[in-house]
Amino acid sequence: MSADEPRPEKKPSALLTRRDFLIIAGATVGAAALSQIVIAGPLSADAVSGIERHGAASGAHEWHMGIDLDRCIGCQYCIWACQATNDVVKDSMRWNIGFWDRTANGAEFFMTRPCLHCAEAPCVKVCPVGATWIREDGIVAMDYERCIGCRYCEVACPYDARRFNWAAPDGDNALDRVWGAAEVERRPRGVVEKCTFCVHRIDRGLAEGLVPGVDPQATPACVVACPVGARVFGDIHDPDSPISAFLRDNDTFRLREDFGTEPKVHYVRPGRDTEEPS
Amino acid sequence: MTSHAIAPARRPPLTPFRLWVAGLVVLIVAGLVGAFYVLRYGLAVTNLTDQVPWGLWITLDLSAIALGAGAFTFSAVVYLLKVRRFEPVARLAVFIGFLGYSAAMMALVMDIGRPDRFWHPLIFWNVHSVLWEITWCVILYFTILLVEFVPTLVDSPAFDTRPRLRRLGHSLHRFTPLAAVFGLALSLLHQSSLGATYGVLSGRAIWFKPSLPVMFIISAVAGGTALTLLATLLTGKLSRRRYVSDELRHSMARLTGFALLAYLYLKLWDWAATSYYAHSPGTADALARLAVTSPYQSTFWWFEVLLAGVIPAVILLAARLRRDDRLLMMALGLIVAGVVVNRWNVTLSGLVAPPHWSPGVLGNVTAAAYFPSPVEIAVALGIIGYALLAFTLGARYLPLFPHGEQ
Repeated sequence: MSADEPRPEKKPSALLTRRDFLIIAGATVGAAALSQIVIAGPLSADAVSGIERHGAASGAHEWHMGIDLDRCIGCQYCIWACQATNDVVKDSMRWNIGFWDRTANGAEFFMTRPCLHCAEAPCVKVCPVGATWIREDGIVAMDYERCIGCRYCEVACPYDARRFNWAAPDGDNALDRVWGAAEVERRPRGVVEKCTFCVHRIDRGLAEGLVPGVDPQATPACVVACPVGARVFGDIHDPDSPISAFLRDNDTFRLREDFGTEPKVHYVRPGRDTEEPS
Repeated sequence: MTSHAIAPARRPPLTPFRLWVAGLVVLIVAGLVGAFYVLRYGLAVTNLTDQVPWGLWITLDLSAIALGAGAFTFSAVVYLLKVRRFEPVARLAVFIGFLGYSAAMMALVMDIGRPDRFWHPLIFWNVHSVLWEITWCVILYFTILLVEFVPTLVDSPAFDTRPRLRRLGHSLHRFTPLAAVFGLALSLLHQSSLGATYGVLSGRAIWFKPSLPVMFIISAVAGGTALTLLATLLTGKLSRRRYVSDELRHSMARLTGFALLAYLYLKLWDWAATSYYAHSPGTADALARLAVTSPYQSTFWWFEVLLAGVIPAVILLAARLRRDDRLLMMALGLIVAGVVVNRWNVTLSGLVAPPHWSPGVLGNVTAAAYFPSPVEIAVALGIIGYALLAFTLGARYLPLFPHGEQ
């Protein structure tokens, strides 16, 4: 009965044959596997360049910074030291920015902000090439060799902490020598840069047995330059570190915690002088 | 030689067609000069800043991709849903998609600081980045558009003398249903992800909402189908032919109209839920700042909602109104313009009014102004010129309407 019925005619020209499908599927899976081997394996760019990448802070150290806005006198030494050390030529490119602001009850204070090295950094999530990532010690690092200059990280960062090299950074660094010699290479045109927590000092310092946050050579330039000790730095896992003491002794807050970014820079509120006159 | 190669006339008469082509060539030359400046001097020649790092070019590639959405929509409708009555416009839709995506990629290469590293997303993966996903989708989908476009190309008279290449090109036909499946999947992904580019950024309240990806893809379907119908009607008018039957024309207009209606519905609730029935502090603050520093509010309500939304929706869905050629084409043109204005408004709104993060009351967050520089405008015009010229030549020399006159 069913044999009598003519079966609907097949149109092989319009359809994909099983063989074609298998070839395409096989090629796709093969290509994906190959690319994974290239990316993750011993041939990966990370392996070749020796860069270790991790999703979140999981190492022995975790670096945090404290900024006491009540103690800060607004001398801007931290800004200049940063510019000299990291060879930031233009003022508009500053990694560590500062400006005068006022509290709700009228107390003036100098607001400064390095990169906050967020644990949930939006810039890290959005980078299409993984040119920025969170190291084991929590530092949000940049790979200038990998960055394509799409600036999505700048768009994603709600703290305005990233700077793009719109032009090649030419000319002398006016702050060089007076505020410290350049310790890192200048970045090329077309890539994004930002505060590194002076990661070069931390890595070299640890290798030499120094303690970042305590020994100046192993501590971010801005912290070292501060004449009133308004900035402290250190390992949050070490209870004796300056940052651990800072967090114990002060009532601190972080910038816009409602963003869910979990910054690693902790502030002490300004204007206590006006509330409790001494 | 028996071919009908066009011999160069000694003094070509200034026909409107030639004037049009000459004008487009001028745009392309201007674009090339602009591109030279960008590559030679870097993005310092733009008016982009660290506060507004994305501007005209991002708007251009978001718009070009959205307006190319007719390709996946009609491919899916014809080859997957088997609604054969839309088949006469499938080739044209694919051609427009091809031009839109190639234009978008040109704008992107101009926009990135290191064009020499454009291939990095293919080698260095960050699967958590929507932009990484978009890059992959756009490249794969562009390949699919190429596969879908080849049969049109080999059907052109230029391949009359190359039957083997033509057969080879036609052998790609058998992949059409497969291409439609992948094209649909890839388009559903990246057309929405382009909205998610902004929608996932928790630090910018005016963007941070799950409605953005959905609004992007629905507006892309409305804009893409609108442009396909507009291009069909324009091509027919200029060549004095009727490529689509009245029935098909009404079907397409209704499809666009319903997509537009769905978009307006979402847009209404997107606004009502964040700004009318609730107070969302970040969004309210950004909108207040935009109101005094930019034409955002007026372009949003007058252009996006009324001129490019409600009015065209009425025209497209009222049978008596859409029968009028001029009214219909005006409605379609407004939708296309509305997509561009929307992509500009979405991009700029989050950047021009950034969040306030200082513990003080002043902050240093000042509303930034942005207007593209001459070089940015020249490059954008050059890319638009390329798309229009390629479309003009395609409409003239390619068999975009294999079904002939209706």
